Amino acid sequence: MTTNPPSGNVRSRRLAALADSWRVYRAERGGVLGLAVLVCAVLLAVLAPVLTDSAELDVTGVDASALRPPGAQHWLGTDESGRSVLLLTWWGARMSLLVGAAAAVLSMVIGTVVGLTAAHFGGWVETVLLRLTDFFLVLPALVLAIALSTVLSRGLFTIVLAIGVTSWPQTARLVRAQTLTVETRPYVERARALGGGHGHVLVKHVLPSVLPLVFATTTLTVASAIIAESTLSFLGLGDPSRISWGAMLKSAMDTGAVTAGAWWYLLPPGIGIAVVVLAFTLCGRALETVLNPRLRGGAE
Amino acid sequence: MGVRSAGVRPSFPRAAATVVIAGLLLPVVLAPGALSANERGDGSGQEGEATLRVGIQQEFDSLNPFLGFSRAATEVFRLIYPTLTTYSSEDFSVVPELATDWESSRDKLTWTFHIREGVKWSDGEPVTAHDVAYTFDRMMTDSAAATANGNYVDNFAEVSAPDDGRVVIRTETPQATMRSLAVPIVPEHVWSEVDDVAGFANRRMPIVGSGPFEVTDYRPQQSLTLEANEDFWRGAPTVDRLRFVNFENSDAAVQALRKGEIDVARKLTPAQFDALKGAENIERVKGKGRRFYELVLNPGAANSAGDPIGTGHPALRDVRVRKALDRAIDRSELVDRVLGGHGTVGAGYLPPIFRKYHWSPPDDERRSFSLEAADRALDEAGYPRGPDGIRRGPSGRPLDFEFVLHGDSSTDALVGKFVKEWLSGIGVEVSLQPVSDNQVNQRTTAGDFDMVISGWSVNPDPDYVLRLQTCGARPNPGGGGLPDSFLCDERYDELYARQLAEFDRDARVELVKRAQGRFHEMATGLILFYPNALEAYRSDRFAGFERQPAERGVITAQQGYWGYYRAEPTERARTAGGGAGYRSAAFVIVGVVLLGALVVFSASAHRRRTAEHRE
Repeated sequence: MTTNPPSGNVRSRRLAALADSWRVYRAERGGVLGLAVLVCAVLLAVLAPVLTDSAELDVTGVDASALRPPGAQHWLGTDESGRSVLLLTWWGARMSLLVGAAAAVLSMVIGTVVGLTAAHFGGWVETVLLRLTDFFLVLPALVLAIALSTVLSRGLFTIVLAIGVTSWPQTARLVRAQTLTVETRPYVERARALGGGHGHVLVKHVLPSVLPLVFATTTLTVASAIIAESTLSFLGLGDPSRISWGAMLKSAMDTGAVTAGAWWYLLPPGIGIAVVVLAFTLCGRALETVLNPRLRGGAE
Repeated sequence: MGVRSAGVRPSFPRAAATVVIAGLLLPVVLAPGALSANERGDGSGQEGEATLRVGIQQEFDSLNPFLGFSRAATEVFRLIYPTLTTYSSEDFSVVPELATDWESSRDKLTWTFHIREGVKWSDGEPVTAHDVAYTFDRMMTDSAAATANGNYVDNFAEVSAPDDGRVVIRTETPQATMRSLAVPIVPEHVWSEVDDVAGFANRRMPIVGSGPFEVTDYRPQQSLTLEANEDFWRGAPTVDRLRFVNFENSDAAVQALRKGEIDVARKLTPAQFDALKGAENIERVKGKGRRFYELVLNPGAANSAGDPIGTGHPALRDVRVRKALDRAIDRSELVDRVLGGHGTVGAGYLPPIFRKYHWSPPDDERRSFSLEAADRALDEAGYPRGPDGIRRGPSGRPLDFEFVLHGDSSTDALVGKFVKEWLSGIGVEVSLQPVSDNQVNQRTTAGDFDMVISGWSVNPDPDYVLRLQTCGARPNPGGGGLPDSFLCDERYDELYARQLAEFDRDARVELVKRAQGRFHEMATGLILFYPNALEAYRSDRFAGFERQPAERGVITAQQGYWGYYRAEPTERARTAGGGAGYRSAAFVIVGVVLLGALVVFSASAHRRRTAEHRE
C-alpha cells in the first residue's frame, strides 16, 4: 500500500520529463522536420503492400517498354525491364529503412554491452575490450563490410551483420565515457554501499542514464547504416532478391542508364537516400540537444 | 554563453543541407572530370599518323600466348603472332597465313605445312618451320605451355621440321581440325631461353612477334599500345598505331567515345546502343554474335575419375525435371525484354552465324514455352507440391535451386529475375547468387551450383565448344579442366569423336548436328539466346572497318586481325588530335572552383561557430 503512490510519482515524474524533452525537441525546427519526413517515409514503407500491387514488381508481369521517360502512366518512368521506377523506389525504401534500422540496433546492442562492461569492470576486462574496440575502429569499416559480405552467403541477414559488426566501436567508446561519469555519481555509490551487485547497478542505475545518449547516437548510426547498405548493394554485395535503393543504382549503372540519359532511374533512389539520411541526421542532432543542455539555445 | 550561441543552432540544419546539396552536385560536377581522367596518354601521336583507340572492359590476363585465354589477350595474340592458317573476313573460310599450303597423307595422320618464305620476326630474324615445330613441341612437352591451347596438341604424336620451309605433324588419330590450328607461333630464339613458362609474363618491350602489329607499351589496367609493322608480309596496316584503353565499365567507355577520346567502343548494352542512335559522328555496328548464352543445369557433376563432386541438387539429375524447367522459360520474351531485341532466340548449341553447323530442334523435339505443360510434366515425374507450394522430390527435399550469376552483368541479373519468376510459377524456388566472374568459374569447375549462366564464343570450327560437353572435359581430381555442363554421355561422346575424325565436310556437318540434337535431348545446357555484338565507332575519324563476316559481321574480337588491319582512317584522324576535350577540362576547372568555394564556405562557417563557442 505504500508502494503505489511512489511508483505513481515516478511515472508522473517520467511523463513530465518526457513532456519537457518533447517541448525542447519541438523547439528544434530541423528536428521536427526530420521527424515528420521520417514518419511519412516509415508509414509509406510499411503500407506499401497495402497501397500498391506487388505483382507489378514481377518482371514477367509488366509489359511497358524499357527506360521510358516519366509520363502519365509511369510518373517516374520505367527501369530496364519496364517496371515503374516510382514503385521500385517505394519498395526500395522498405529495404533501406529495414536494413538501416536493424544494423543500427545490432551495432547499438554490441556497442552498449561492450562500453558498459568495459567501464564498469575496468582492469583487464577494460583493456581487452578497448583494444578490441580500437581494432575495429582503425579498420576501414567499408572494406571489412565488403569482405564479410563476400565471404558469407548473400542475404538480408548478412548485410545487416556486415554493417552492424563494423559500426559499433563509436557507440562503445561513447557509452564507456558516459558510464565512467555516471558511475562516479553519489547515488551509484550509495547503491553499491547498500549492497547492489553488478547487475543491479548496471541495469537499474547506469543503463537508464546512459540510454538516452545511446538512442541519440543510434539515430545517427541509422543514417550511416543506410548509406553503407546502399554502398554495399551498389557494389553488388546486397541481397539480390530484394529491391533496395543501392541495388537500383547498381542496375541503372550496369544497364547504361547514364548513356541513355535515363535520369529518372538514377535520381529517385539517390534523392531517397539523401532525404532519409538527412532526416535521421536532423533527428539525431535534435535529440542531442534535448540531452545536452549546453547545446540548447536561450532556454536555460 | 547561452544567449550568444542562440544564433548558432540553426546552422546545424543549414550545414547539413549544404552537405547534402554538395553531395547531390558532386557527381554532376565530377562525372565529366572523372571521365577525362581516362584519356590515357596522348590523343593521336605525331602529325600525319593515325591511331586507332579501342575501349575495352576486360583485363589482359597474360601477354604470354601460352597462358592468356581471355578474349582481350587472344585478340592481341592474333595481332602480334603468326598462325599457320586464319579465317577469311568474308565468310570464315580457312585461308593461308604463315603456311602457304598444306597436304595430308592418305590415312590423314601425317600433315605437311609449307611455311611462307621471307617472313621476319620484328627483331630481324627469319620465321622458319623450326619456330613452328618448337611452339608445338613446347606445348606437347611442357604442361604449363599447354594451358591456353592444349586442346590442339592433345592428339599430336610428333612434330618435326625437316627444313626451314616444311613442318610435318603426325597425329595419333585423324583430326578434322588440322586446317584451323589457332595457335600463336612464337620465335624459338626468344622462347628457348624461357625456362619457366608459367612464371613468364612476356613483358619485355617491344615484344618480338611477326604480325601486322607489334606491342610496344603496356600499362596494366590502363592501356596497351601496338605500333604498325611496316614489313608485314601482307603489307603494312592502314593505321600507324593501335591502342587498347581499359575502362572500368561500359558507360565510361561510351562517354569517352562520345567525346572522341576513343574511336571504338564495344560490348555495349542494349540501352547504350539504342541511346547512341543518331548521335553525332558515331556509327553503330550491330553484328551477328558468335556467342551462345547458356543456362546450365547441374546434371550431377563428376570429375574425370567419375567421382561425384560439387553440391548439385539431386532432382536435376532427372532429365524429366531439366526438360520441364526448359519449358518454363520463354526465350522470345528474354530476347525482347533483356536484349531489347538485339539477339536471336536460342535453339541448338552453335549460333546461326555459322549457318552450316547451326541446328534447330525439329517441331516434335522442340520444348516450346508453356507453364502449364511444365507444371504437368513435374506432376507426372513425381514431384508433388508441398504445403508451401514448393515441389518435393522423392527424398522429400524441396526443389530449391541456387542460381549462380555473373554479378557485374546486367544481362545475367535480368535473366535471373525472369527465370526466378517463371519457375516460382511451377513450384520451383530459385535463389539468385550473383558473384564475381572468378567465383562463377570456380564454382562451375567445382560443380558447386544447381543452375549457372555460361556462354562461349564459338570458333568457325566448332570442335572447341563441342569438346566442352564431353567426358574428357570434366575436371581432373587434382584440379584443372574446363567443364561446361558436365554432360558426360556415351552417345554424345561417340558423335563428337566421329565428327573430329570425319574429313568429308557434309558428313561432318551432319555429325555435328546430331551431336547438338543429343545435347538438346539431354537438356543439361539450355541455350537461351545468341546475343548480337553491339559496337560503335567514331565516323569522323574512321570511314569504316572490315567486318567479319562481310554480311552483318563485327569489327572487333574477330577470328583474325582484319578489322584493325584494314581500318579506314579519315583525313581528320591523320591531322587532328583525339579531341582531348577542352570542354572536359573546363568542367574539371569549374568543378574544382565550385568545390573549393564550398570548402572555404563551410570552413569559415565552422570557424565562426567555434569562435562563438569559445567566447
